Amino acid sequence: MISHLVCALSLVVFYSLQTAIFSQANLISGTADVVLLFLAAWSLQEQVKNSWLWTIVAGVLISLASAMPFFAPLIAYLGVISISKLLQRRVWRNPILAMFIVTLVGTIFQHGIYIFVLRITGAVFPFSISVDHIILPSLLLNLIFALPVYAVVSDLVGRIYPLEVEA
Amino acid sequence: MKFLSSKNTQTIVIIVVVAGLLFLALSGYLTPVFNLSLNPLVSFQKWLSVRYLSARDFLTTPSDVVLLREQNAILESQVTQLQTQLIEMEERLGEAQVCFALLDFGRTNPQYDYIAATVIGREISPFLQYIIIDKGTEDGVRYGMPVVTQQGLVGRIDAVIARASRVKLITDSTSVVNIRLQSAAIEAQLIGSLTGDLSLDMIPLDETIEPGDVVLTSGLGGNYPPNIFVGQVLSTQQRENALFQTASVQPIVNFESINAVLVIDNFEAINISPLIPEP
Repeated sequence: MISHLVCALSLVVFYSLQTAIFSQANLISGTADVVLLFLAAWSLQEQVKNSWLWTIVAGVLISLASAMPFFAPLIAYLGVISISKLLQRRVWRNPILAMFIVTLVGTIFQHGIYIFVLRITGAVFPFSISVDHIILPSLLLNLIFALPVYAVVSDLVGRIYPLEVEA
Repeated sequence: MKFLSSKNTQTIVIIVVVAGLLFLALSGYLTPVFNLSLNPLVSFQKWLSVRYLSARDFLTTPSDVVLLREQNAILESQVTQLQTQLIEMEERLGEAQVCFALLDFGRTNPQYDYIAATVIGREISPFLQYIIIDKGTEDGVRYGMPVVTQQGLVGRIDAVIARASRVKLITDSTSVVNIRLQSAAIEAQLIGSLTGDLSLDMIPLDETIEPGDVVLTSGLGGNYPPNIFVGQVLSTQQRENALFQTASVQPIVNFESINAVLVIDNFEAINISPLIPEP
């Protein structure tokens, strides 16, 4: 119960940070996605069992707020969590390395989904510009913020799960 | 002889000596003697005074430091309060300047009614150029309403909920605005891009456009009101075998730092899509 509450509150905080601050802090035209980083870090925690549920909640929330069509953010986040769960079983000895790998692969996957969806809807833009101006800068920003977000989420999980055991 | 007793004699001698000394002193004859005798005294006094002051300073300084620290803390707190007030004042001044500028725009364009709104967020996906404002249907904002600032055109309402709206900026890659060039009376299309740059398309090859030409909305298509300032032509490009020439446009609005906007609420966008023949 506590984990659900903390996850919901954290999601609201990260969503607000994303729309109010991180979406405005551009590197060329790329921006960091701290909601993606939060979901990746949350799902990498061994104790956490509800990551799929909150990924769907976050995906629906972002999809409703975003102008991106076809619930593309939800699809992207589900893909990122799939990668995260896959890596959690294989790189379990080094979660920080797993976080970086999830961030790297997840960001590319997310932007791939976005480009695909935008192309379907008729948006015309050169692929090379999207790579140079958006994907690579976003990837760099996500990798920079991956470690602090992972540290915050690990700390949160470390604090709430002993409470759950006691309860 | 009794008068000259030893006691009286002694008194008289003392009086005479004192009187003589006074006479000599007043007449200045004893100055060298005084100097000779007082200089060592002054030197000693000075030495003693310096040592005393040093000792007093040494003994009283700790209490002064405590006092000074207290005073310093009070002054620092005052400085902090004043700095906070200054920041608040600067923020209010900035907001007031934005409000005054928006008000000026409203006065110079009295034919429209405006809803002032604050920008509270931006689109999450970096592929899209949208902003989120704090006014929604409860404030009278509707889908399709044009959005401007005191400088010029920003975009149009793309989605709206009760207390917030999403604005599609003219820099979005899917945005197309019908414009005209003020100087040459040329009509064209303003197209956004992935990187937020603006360009003009559909300019006939035989038309001459110059850098610096003013770009205004034409009103064609019914999505935006006419004669809203958009920007200036930056450069032109003509490709061989192309049907039209293109141009880069420098927008008048700085889309990176929009804090407040005006929604034009008495302009009804016209949906002409049913009139466009399907391919």
